[in-house]
Amino acid sequence: MKVQFLIYFSMSIFLFSPRQADAQEVQSTDEIQKLREQIEQLKNESAAHKQGTSKFLLRGYAHSGLQVTDESFSFIGGAFNPIFIYKQSDRLLFESELEFELEDGNLGIGLEYANMSYLLSKNLTLRAGKFLVPFGIFVPNLHPAWINRFPTAPLGVGHDGIVPSNDIGVELRGGSYLGNLKINYSVYAVNGSQLNDGQEDAEEGGILHHAVFPDNNRGKTIGGRLGFFPFSNSSLELGVSGMYGTVGAKSSKLEDINALHYAFDLSFVKSLPSLSSVLDLKAQYSGTKVDEAAYPDPEDPTNFVTFDNNSSAWFAQVSIRPALIDNKFFRNLEFAARYSTLKTPEGAAWEVDETQIDLGVNYWIDWRTLLKFSYRISSSAEEDHVEPEHDEIAGNAFFVHWALGF
Amino acid sequence: MKKIQILSFFIIVVVFSFIYTGCSARSNIATAKSGAQLWGENCLRCHNTPSPKTFSDAEWDAAVLHMRVRANLTASEATKIVEFLKTAN
Ligand code: HEC
Repeated sequence: MKVQFLIYFSMSIFLFSPRQADAQEVQSTDEIQKLREQIEQLKNESAAHKQGTSKFLLRGYAHSGLQVTDESFSFIGGAFNPIFIYKQSDRLLFESELEFELEDGNLGIGLEYANMSYLLSKNLTLRAGKFLVPFGIFVPNLHPAWINRFPTAPLGVGHDGIVPSNDIGVELRGGSYLGNLKINYSVYAVNGSQLNDGQEDAEEGGILHHAVFPDNNRGKTIGGRLGFFPFSNSSLELGVSGMYGTVGAKSSKLEDINALHYAFDLSFVKSLPSLSSVLDLKAQYSGTKVDEAAYPDPEDPTNFVTFDNNSSAWFAQVSIRPALIDNKFFRNLEFAARYSTLKTPEGAAWEVDETQIDLGVNYWIDWRTLLKFSYRISSSAEEDHVEPEHDEIAGNAFFVHWALGF
Repeated sequence: MKKIQILSFFIIVVVFSFIYTGCSARSNIATAKSGAQLWGENCLRCHNTPSPKTFSDAEWDAAVLHMRVRANLTASEATKIVEFLKTAN
């Protein structure tokens, strides 16, 4: 018993010895002090990197490639598009895209867009400046090289197409719910397209030029787009767009000539677990109707000719990517096909009736970087049709392109 | 062409009545959806869905505001998506 008591007694002396406790205390106060200093240092460091309310993103994309046709075997493209995005506050956004492109051996610089958006409410944004016109879906949503599944734009769409691309003006846009139906909308006023009167080059009489500055008249072009999502999972969007305004130059014979552009679009994107794939369908029909007018006859410019100045273009594309399978190589592969047509007025010197089928295999390196291999089959209804200005849209061709978004 | 002017006026009236009814419709399916679900449904409609890991919180703030305008997202959709991206990056 005594022995036990002695053991307990000596243990308690050992455990509760004041010298031991003192030593521990000193050590822990030292540690606390050190930690305090570290926290203070971290605080200072993080304060130095503290985000302000204004935020900035410098992004963009680049692309180039190889084009093989009957006549040429050349590397083409070589474009670099930086995009500047400034979030000034929770309500104010500025976006701008420049385009640096090689054109006939020279560097061409373009301002794709530069505009500010102010969020007026939960469902409405005011945009002002130069913007991508919300007409159909290709130009505003699909044109960047890392989004477009093909190396080229569909017929009739793009910089020299019949479809308006970008313009200067003001716009109200937004999205909302009608009960359970999701919708989006946009109304805008812009300078609008300009009608070529054929005075300089009779062969171009009746062509509408887009994104030309300054405006050639006082009338503004108004337009809008309405989009619906019939399914609650937003997989399908159907849209209708319209744009109407004066296109003739002020104080010219054509000053009262107006043009109507209209478009219908469809987008359907859905995961198909049964095929372990993601299916992506996009389509757009665009039409243009210009009031009747007389243009110089290209055969004899002292005479005038007239024709129904109506044009149309449409495309439908499908792509499928087995993104849900385990094999890394196959899940980055994508198969794509596109059909596109362009019809310009019968009887015009620039009459075109073209169809293209593009078949492609793409390999995705990351979500914004891909290699595109595609083959294009072109056919024209006109035996003696005028060759389009850009050889990019004429003839069969094989392309290898790369596009990188950053 | 008078017809077209009447038609465009009609379209504008319809659009704004949509906006009005949209604003007043308080409860809809979107309010029940999580940020992750809205991200999964909306961010692949035009391009591949970016992984949340792509950007920092501050970069997502700017990118999602850009997309809110581009894709016509509502305020609550954009807020939920950005919150999701910031917790999952
Ligand atoms: C309506 C089509 C559309 C939808 C829906 C969409 N995006 Fe985009 N996104 C674009 C386009 C177009 C660009 C390229 C911008 C450009 O080149 O002008 C882009 C670019 C981006 C970029 C690159 C940086 C930038 O802002 O340009 C990021 C990141 C991005 N999107 C994220 C998202 C996220 C997250 C969502 C879901 C909320 C989303 N996107 C939904 C069309 C869309």
